[in-house]
Amino acid sequence: MTFKRLVQTLVICCGILAVAACSKNKCQTPCNPCATGPCMAEAEASGAGQGSSFGGGEGMNAEQLCAKRTYYFDFDQDVIHPDDQAAISANANKIACNPHVKVLLEGHTDPRGSREYNVGLGERRAKAVKELLESKGVSPSQIRIVSYGSERPAAQGCTEDAYALDRRVVLVYLK
Amino acid sequence: MKKIFLILFLIFSATFFHPAFALLSMELTQGMAGALPISVVPFVNQAEMPQDVAGIIGHDLQNCGRFKVYSANALPSYPGDVHEVKFDFFRGLGVDNIVIGKVQAVGGGRYQVSFQLIDALRDKESAKASAILLSQKFVVSASELRPLAHHISDLVYQKLTGIRGIFSTRIAYILVQRSDDSAVPTRYILEVSDQDGYNPRPLLTSTDPIMSPAWSPNGRQIAYVSFENQRSSIYIEDVASGTRRSVSQFDGINGAPAWSPDGKKLALVLSKSGSPNIYVMDLISKQLTQLTHDYYINTEPAWAPNGKTLIFTSNRSGGSHPQVYQLNPATRAVSRLSYDGDYNARPAFSPDGNRVVMLHRSAGLFNVGLLDLDSGVLNVLTNSGSNNESPSMAPNGSMILFGTEYQGRNVLSMISTDGRVQVRLPARNGEVQDPAWSPFLS
Repeated sequence: MTFKRLVQTLVICCGILAVAACSKNKCQTPCNPCATGPCMAEAEASGAGQGSSFGGGEGMNAEQLCAKRTYYFDFDQDVIHPDDQAAISANANKIACNPHVKVLLEGHTDPRGSREYNVGLGERRAKAVKELLESKGVSPSQIRIVSYGSERPAAQGCTEDAYALDRRVVLVYLK
Repeated sequence: MKKIFLILFLIFSATFFHPAFALLSMELTQGMAGALPISVVPFVNQAEMPQDVAGIIGHDLQNCGRFKVYSANALPSYPGDVHEVKFDFFRGLGVDNIVIGKVQAVGGGRYQVSFQLIDALRDKESAKASAILLSQKFVVSASELRPLAHHISDLVYQKLTGIRGIFSTRIAYILVQRSDDSAVPTRYILEVSDQDGYNPRPLLTSTDPIMSPAWSPNGRQIAYVSFENQRSSIYIEDVASGTRRSVSQFDGINGAPAWSPDGKKLALVLSKSGSPNIYVMDLISKQLTQLTHDYYINTEPAWAPNGKTLIFTSNRSGGSHPQVYQLNPATRAVSRLSYDGDYNARPAFSPDGNRVVMLHRSAGLFNVGLLDLDSGVLNVLTNSGSNNESPSMAPNGSMILFGTEYQGRNVLSMISTDGRVQVRLPARNGEVQDPAWSPFLS
C-alpha cells in the first residue's frame, strides 16, 4: 500500500468513525462527542444564573448534582421545585449522553387519602420529571415510570415532616 | 427470571416455614345501647370437643355489637334440650333468648352437634317446646366444628334480627412487616382470614407492595395489584389453590380491579392512554373497553349491584380534590354523586344499591361516609382523624370494614352502618391495611 493510499484510508476511516459517533449521541451540542460516563452539567450550571436562585445548583459540581436523585413535592402538587431543576438537568445530560442507559422514575405520595387515587398522583409527579428529562434530550424509550402511590412511604410517622419526605420522585438508574 | 424464583421461594417459605400470619384479634370498642340480651350456654359434653362451639357462638354474637351475651356458668349443670332449661335462672339474668346444645362423638373423628334457640320469655310449663325458635342437628368432622359454630351464629342472628349473618364470611387484607434494620426489606403479604381474624392464610408474600384486593362474586378468586418487577400488574388468584395468572400488565398504571356482579368482567384502571382512565376487561376474551377518555385521574371503579352502572373516583371537577361520580357505560353519561366535603373517593355500593360508602374528608379529617342515594344525605360514620381508608362493606350491608391508625400503627376496624357498633382488629405481628370483605360464601 502506498503512503498516499494509507492516508486516504485513514481519512475515510476517521470520517466514518466521526459520522458514526455523531449519529449515536443525542446531545444537544452538535457532534461534539459527550464524554461517556461522567455527568456533564457545565451547560446547566452556567444557565443556572438565569434570574431565579437555584439553591440546589449553586456551589454543587456536576457529580453532586447527578447524585441528587430524590425530588420532593408539595402537598397535592406535581410541580417540580426550582431547587431540583439543576439536579434533574444534570441527570438528563448524563442519560442523554449515554443512550444505552435506562432509568426508572418512581412516583410517591404521603399516606393520606385513598390508595389508588394516590397511585394516580404519584404518576403525575413522575411524569413531570419525565417531561423535564425529555425536554433536555433524553429519549422517551430510556425512561420508565412506576407509581407506588402511598405504598412505599419514606418515613414512618404522621407528622407533616414525615409526610413531606414521602412526597417524592426517585430517579433510579437501571442495571 | 431470578425475581420470579425468589418470589416463588418466598411464597413457598411463607406457606410452609414462616408462621407469618396476621393473627388479628377482635376488640369490641363500642356496642349498641339497645343490644339484645342473650345467653349462650356451654354445650353438653363440650369439654370432649376440640372446639368450644358455644364459646365461638358467644364471641360472634358479642363482637358484632348487636347482642349482649350473658354467662350461664353459674348453672350447676348445662341443659342440652329445652325440657332441661330452668327458665327462672335465665329470667333472673335478664335475657330474652337462650342458646343451648349438646355434642356427641360418633366415631371416625366425627361429631353430632345439636342446638336450640329458645325464647326465654315464653315459658309455659305445659308446653316448653313452644319456646323453641330454632332446633337443628348436624354431623361434622373435627375440622368443621369452627365453621359450624359460625353457621349457628348466622342462624341465630338471622332469626333474631331478620338480617343474614356474616359470621361465615372472610376478609382479605395486606399485612405489612417492617424491620427496624434498614437492610431488611419490608414484607408485604396478601392474607385471607375468617371475618373474626382466625385461620389466616397467606396468598402472596413479596418484598414489593401489594394492594387493592378484590373478591370475585363467588368468593373463589381474588384480584389484586402487585408491584413485583418494579411495575404494577393485576393478578387473579384462586383462593383455595393459590394458583394465579396475570391479567393486566400494560405500560403505566394497572390498578383498582373490580369484578362485575356476574363475575365475567373486570373494571380496572390503566394509564396507557396517557393518564389514568377506567376500562372494562372481558375476562374470557381479554377485550378492553375504555369508559373514560380524559386527562384527569379516574380510578377506583365499583359496580352497581345490577351491573348496569359504575361509580368511580375522579378529580374532573378541577383542582386536585377527587369526588365520586357515576357512569353509565351504555349512554356514556357521567354524573356527580358527592357534594359534601372537599375530598371523596374509594366508593362502593351497599348490597341493596341504595347507599354508597366512601372515604370522605372534611375539616381536614378523613372519615368513612355513607351516602343515601335517595335523600342525598351523607352520614359521616367515624369521627377520628386517624387516616381512615379503604372502606369495604359486609355482604349483608350492616358493617363496614376499613383501615385506620391506632397507637401509631395501621390496623383494621369495623363500624356498623348506623355508626353505633365499633370493632377494632389489630394484628399481632405487623400492620394491616387495604381490607376487602368477602361476599357470602356457600
